[in-house]
This record gives sequence, structure tokens and C-alpha cells, in this order.
Amino acid sequence: MSLKNCYNFEDFRKLAKKKLPYPIFHYIDGGADDESTLKRNTESFNDCDLVPNILASVGKPDLSTTLFGRKIDMPIFLSPAAMQRLYHYEGDMASARAADKFGTFYSMSSMGNNTIEEVSNISSGPKLFQLYVHKDRSISDDLIERSRRSGFDAMCLTVDTLVAGNRERDHRSGFTTPPKLTLKSLMSFIMRPEWVFNYLTHKKFELSNVAKKTDKGTNIAKSVMEYINEQYDPTMSWKDAEYCVKKWNGPFALKGVMSVEDAKRAIDIGCTAIMISNHGGRQLDGSRSPFDQVKAISDAVGDKLEIILDGGVRRGTHVLKALAAGAKACSFGKMFLFSLAAGGQKGVEKLLQNMQDEIRRNMVLMGCKNLKEIDSSKIIYRK
Amino acid sequence: MNLKDCHNFSDFRKLAKKKLPSPIFHYIDGAADDEITYARNTSAFDDVDLVPNVLRGVEDVDLSTTIFGKKLDLPFYLAPTALQRLFHYDGERAVGKAAQKFKTMFGVSALATVSVEEISSMIDTPKMFQFYFHKDRGLNDSCLERAKAAKFDVMALTVDTITGGNRERDLRTGFTSPPKLTLASLFSFAVKPMWGINYLTKGKFELPHLQDYVKEGTDTNTSIGNYFSTMLDQSMNWKDAEKLCSQWGGHFALKGVMSVEDAKRAVDIGCTGIMVSNHGGRQLDGSRSPFDQLAEIVDAVGDKLDVICEGGIHRGTHMLKALSLGAKACSGGRLYLYALAAGGQAGVERAIEKYKTELVRDMKLMGCTKISDLNRDNLRFRR
Repeated sequence: MSLKNCYNFEDFRKLAKKKLPYPIFHYIDGGADDESTLKRNTESFNDCDLVPNILASVGKPDLSTTLFGRKIDMPIFLSPAAMQRLYHYEGDMASARAADKFGTFYSMSSMGNNTIEEVSNISSGPKLFQLYVHKDRSISDDLIERSRRSGFDAMCLTVDTLVAGNRERDHRSGFTTPPKLTLKSLMSFIMRPEWVFNYLTHKKFELSNVAKKTDKGTNIAKSVMEYINEQYDPTMSWKDAEYCVKKWNGPFALKGVMSVEDAKRAIDIGCTAIMISNHGGRQLDGSRSPFDQVKAISDAVGDKLEIILDGGVRRGTHVLKALAAGAKACSFGKMFLFSLAAGGQKGVEKLLQNMQDEIRRNMVLMGCKNLKEIDSSKIIYRK
Repeated sequence: MNLKDCHNFSDFRKLAKKKLPSPIFHYIDGAADDEITYARNTSAFDDVDLVPNVLRGVEDVDLSTTIFGKKLDLPFYLAPTALQRLFHYDGERAVGKAAQKFKTMFGVSALATVSVEEISSMIDTPKMFQFYFHKDRGLNDSCLERAKAAKFDVMALTVDTITGGNRERDLRTGFTSPPKLTLASLFSFAVKPMWGINYLTKGKFELPHLQDYVKEGTDTNTSIGNYFSTMLDQSMNWKDAEKLCSQWGGHFALKGVMSVEDAKRAVDIGCTGIMVSNHGGRQLDGSRSPFDQLAEIVDAVGDKLDVICEGGIHRGTHMLKALSLGAKACSGGRLYLYALAAGGQAGVERAIEKYKTELVRDMKLMGCTKISDLNRDNLRFRR
């Protein structure tokens, strides 16, 4: 199996599984508790059907839209994801370059392995920075300041990670960062010498953006959950979010909004967007899926905020359904991380190409010339 | 396993799988993307239940129905499908003779492997010609004229193949026409020697309606998806359809209508029928199933043109449900293609006989003696 045989999510996932030591694969692949929300995120798209129009003389449909004040070439982008160098030695540089090439947003996690400055040096494309509010406020202030100086277009604040989710696969595999070698996981590393070789021979693994401010995540073997519980401020409030919005003073999203009420409050504190997300089913298992919730939120605040659907998207048709239900764009983490693991920058490019082809093909089959035509008349929910 | 062990759809499918080289089997069996729509086309029937009436005196059941001004002995017909001689060396000849024997209609595809002239000299029961709108207007005119000269009764314009669907099974098997032999597919051809012998000895494989105009389908390898995407005119619009309709001057249907709005426009341009169809789930995955959409369309236009429910039908009871909702007739491709592959004309006859037997039995159990006895009082939707 190789990159050129990767036609869909499952193909990239399989190839990633072959290439990654298993604790790392399962860190991407897993969700919280019984993973029922993880599963529902994708399944929810199947409770709704597309209704195409015929003889619409579509030609080549226009997939472009605007998001966070920038024009993007298609209504999808890469969600922020931590520690990308664990998946491929090119890490964030690969995903940033691939996104730039396809004219859409790359997102940088506070827990990235490259610095804000490094990425802005190699990409002039649209860039989103993802912020966590740390107990040490000077860390958050520093990240905002540097993102501004480096020309990032927008900022998002993750609000669904006040405490770490119960990711049981990680408990079992002993996933820590950097990876802790137990006897059992050692085998899976030995079986993937290419990964180990690249990991050891390229730039040292560290949480580059926060390395100077904290020694956590650098020289101490620490699970991501422990890091979250130790570093992030669980008392974060609407006031703290508002502080970040004001400090950034540009396009700003809350990432992880799920209730209509909270979506309305996001407007009140000055947000320009929200990402409807349950963190890819990795935090609160049993919580509602983004697609199940997007219509209610869009009906309430769709004219005042940009709504991004984050979670469960695997197909071009999922994107079209999300847009028809009121989203402005969709983002995904797992899917592009598998493609990154499968083939670095080339892998992510292949994925983005597949998705672009799918969206374009499906627009033609739907009889839609541009994204504006994908409205609520194009879907019917099964009762 | 042989033909006499085939009692239902899935038996024919199994036998076809045994007889066909795998790329060819999967070309019939597969659908777009994740095949969600393909599965829904059939499972949609399970969301509604039949409510029988008793003590009605049901010795003699009349299954006949009239569509496109023609009386058929059965309320279903064999939908036009491409490339039938790939599935059995008799191809359209077998299907046409079987249809004639049961006095029902059968459709001949523009991508048929036997010419309209030959079919017309052989079959005198009602015939439908299925038309693709090509970029090459000379080819379009030639198809239309030849079908008219051959006294075909109905013209059906396919409107859901503006671009090729994403049939991932074909991408993996390397399905092209004529079949392209890769190392992997060579093996599957080698283990099915009868298919290969018949393919090579029973007359040259050709696409008689196209061969004077295009090289695809004769001397080069092309996939069906590629054919749709490169040969068909993507700018096809309502005006073009209207022109074809009047140029044909007889019964004219649009195949692949899914929205109420489009069904109404079909009436306006002079169509006498529509096939509510998503191309057997082979084009836009995630699109609505014909049965799910049938009632709305019948309510809107059922008194102005013949509404045909096409796709997902595996059983006589499925047909009863569609007819009860107001479809004038049902049709399907896989409905008889597996049977064709399983046993040529005898296979198709056996399949029709089975469906007919089911229909007669089910009508009696429902307390109905003629198709017009069926109505929505016979149905209860769960939910």
C-alpha cells in the first residue's frame, strides 16, 4: 500500500497505522471513554440526505469562500493539532506548506513542535493560531503577541479542554511525549525503524512555542493528559476569553462551542467565529456531534458569526451537508494527521487534492455553481 | 451453486460473483464513495410496513400496468444498463428476449454492446432507449435518429451523470472497458476461464452506438467515470433537454430526477415520465433514496406524468410499497444484471419469474387483485 492508493479516510488511516508505532497511532485514532461520540461525529451525516438539481449547466464550480477575513480556495482547512512531529518528521512545516499550496488555512497548536516564527517564514498562506489559556498568563500573552508579529490571520481559543478527556487507549499504550518506552511499546517502535530513525535524526522534539516558558513537555516524559491538567487553567471563564479577544483584536473564534446559548455569548464578547466541535470525540464522550448541532446554532447566530464545523468530516459530501445546514467551512484533525503520517507534506497534499476533487465532483452532481447555492433546500433530514 | 439454487436477489448476486472476473463483478456491485446511498436505497423500504386487507377474493391477480402509453404485463421493467456483453456474452440479446417473453419493457443504453437495429429486429415488445448528452452533437443526432428509425417507444435522457461518480472499487480493481489487465486483475480473469473464453470467442466487444464517433470504448481503455467526465456535455441545461424532447417527438423521460422542483420542470418541458433515481447510488453518495423521495414527487406531479421508482428494489414487496405510494412502475439495473451474469437469458428469465411470483403472492396476501388496488392506506410509516 502506498500514497497513490489512498483514495479515502480509511486508506490514509491504514497507511498511517502501518507507519506509526502503535502508541502514536492510537493517540490519533482514539477518543474518550467508549468512543461513542467519536463514532457519532461521522455517522450523524448519514441521517440527512442531499437532494440534487439536474440540468443546471454547472461547468466548473467555484469552491472559494472567505473565512476570518481571508479568501480561501475551498471550504475546508486543517484543524490545529498538537505535536505533529510525532506523526512525521516534517511536522507542522509539512501541513503548513500543503495548506498554503491549496490556498486554505493551516492551524498551529500551542503545543506545536515548530515555532510560530518558523512557520510564518515558510508560508504566506492563511494561518490560524490555536491558544490555550495557561495558568501562567504570561505564556498566553506571549503567544498572542508573537502570532500577531508573525502575521497570523486569526486566533482561536480552545474551550473544551479544561481538563483532559479519558483517552483509555493512551492509558493502555503508555502514550507520553516524548514517547515512553515500555517493553510492549518498544516492540512496535523496533518494527518501524524508519519512523525511529527520522524521529532521532531530525530536529529535537519539543513543544517549541512554550519551551522557553516551561520545562514541561521537553525533558520530562509526560502524558498529554497530565500536561493539560497541570498547565491549563481550569478556572478559565468568559472574562478570560474576552481578555484574549481584546488582546488579539482581530478575527477570533472559540473552538469547542456546542450550545446555542454559548454561541450567543461568543458574539457578546466580540468573537467573529465559532468552531462547533467536541474535540474529535476526545474529551466528553456522549456529547452531541457537531453536525447534529450545527443547524440549531446556525439558525440562532449564523448571520452574526462564521460557523465552522469541526469533527467527523471525511468526505466531500459531508462538507456539502455541513454547508447546507449553515456552516461556513469545515475543519478536520484526524484525517489530515493520518495523511501526514502516511506521507508528510505529500500525504497532506494528496488528501487535500482528494477532498477538492470530491467537493468539486459533488457540486457538479448537485447542480451547484458556487457555495452560496448550497443552502437548506439541498438537504432533507430523515425523521 | 447454479441457477436453480437462485431464489432471490442475493442468490443471483452470489452466483454472478462466482462467474465474473472480480473487476467486472465489482463494477456492477459497487457504488460511489462509502456506498451509503446504495445501502439506503434498499433499507429505505424497511421504514414502512405493509398493512394487508383480508377476505377480498383474490384468485386472479392482474399485474399489468400502463406506462408511456404502453401496456406492460408487469409493473416493473429492466432499466437500461451499459456494457451488458461484459457480463454475459449474449448481453442485450439475452435481456431483450427475456423481457419480451414476460411482456415487459427493457431499456437499451447508449453504451449498449448490441445495436438498436439488431434489437428492434429481434424484439417487438416495448423498448426504451437511454440517451447520454454528448459534447459531439453529431453523435447525439445519430443516436436519436437510429433509435427513432428502430421504432423505440421511449427515450430516456440521463441527467445524473454530468460527471463520473467516485466508484472506489473500480479505482482499486482497474476496471476499464475493455478490461485492462493488471497483474492483480489478470489473476481473477485467469481463474474464471469460461468468462474469458466466451468474451473472446462470441463476437467482438463493441459499442455500436458510439463507435463511428468516439475512440473510447473501442480501441482504448477508458473507465466509465472517465467517459462521463470527458465525453458528456457538462453544460447540458433545461433548454437542451427541451430541444431533445421535441426532436424525439414521442414519449420522453428524464432519468435521475430527485427534487420536486425539477420534477415540475420536467412536466413543463413536455416529459411524459421521470425516473426517480440516484443511478443506483453510483454517482452522488449521501444523496436521498428514490423511495424516501417518492411521495413528495408523486404528490407534486403524479397526475401529470408517469413517475417511476428506480433503485434499491430487491423484492416484490419493495415494488408493492413503491406502487402503493403512487409510482406507476418500478425499475432496476442490478435487479437483472446479476442474473444475466449468472445465466444469460435463462438467468434473466428466472429472475423475472421470481419477482413475478413474489408479486402475485404478495398481492394476494395484501388482498389486492390489480395494481390500481394499491394505495397509501396499505402503508404505515414507522416513526
